[in-house]
Amino acid sequence: MAREEPDVEALNEAISSALVFNDEVKDGGGVQITCFSEVVNDVALHFQILRLPKQIYVWMGCDSAKLGHIYAAAPTRPKDMISVTSILGGASDNTGSGIARRLVLKTGLNIILACNIPKNSPMLEAEAEKMLVQKLIQLGYTRAKAEGSSS
Amino acid sequence: MDFLGLTKCAQGNKTDVVLCSYDDHFLVIATQIGAMGTILHARKEEGVSIEPTFNVSAVFGKRDEPMLLACARQLIQHISISGSSRSLVISLGLKDHSAETLKGVVSAVIENRLW
Repeated sequence: MAREEPDVEALNEAISSALVFNDEVKDGGGVQITCFSEVVNDVALHFQILRLPKQIYVWMGCDSAKLGHIYAAAPTRPKDMISVTSILGGASDNTGSGIARRLVLKTGLNIILACNIPKNSPMLEAEAEKMLVQKLIQLGYTRAKAEGSSS
Repeated sequence: MDFLGLTKCAQGNKTDVVLCSYDDHFLVIATQIGAMGTILHARKEEGVSIEPTFNVSAVFGKRDEPMLLACARQLIQHISISGSSRSLVISLGLKDHSAETLKGVVSAVIENRLW
């Protein structure tokens, strides 16, 4: 199937510009994609935030670009209690479930989190979570919650 | 990590498609409902026979929609034929699960594939 030249050019440009890890915000139709990276104690943390109208998908990578374990978390009735479930992986290493839960607690969003942060690094976990929450607030994705957040 | 986002129109519904390539997985999101919808995991299993076998399962959301499984199965087979042994995580948040819609999703993903 022959592809028209302008389409190939646009596609190449989209993919090559998406490889820049520098607060890149792209609008894929109704979806906003933000990527950024930070270095913490010689460890590179990569973040990808994908905003859908009713949900947010977040990927957190630590040094590598592996998908990691996937968790879903959301406020559920009654009283907006936070529920978390593991979708992929997460049997012995459930670092991500704590992060997912606290993300929903602090932002009030419906979240799918893919996280490959290793399990025995609480400092790294805390730093990554802090950066992510700050970014979500900065991008204006968070919902105002009635009660103050408690860590 | 590589990604691509696009919007297609399938059966009159605006469909947002996002494709991401990670070290060990491909992620495909096709949504018409503003959320990720049903999440499926498809992987190739290395067996003793020459023909590869694929394991496709719904891990979140509707578990009784065979067309979604068929869609994931087609894509993992395409990935395998292209020479990659990575697994696929696909999330489908669609308003209808007709064959035409899913064929549209499969062709949009294959046209813009990252493998």
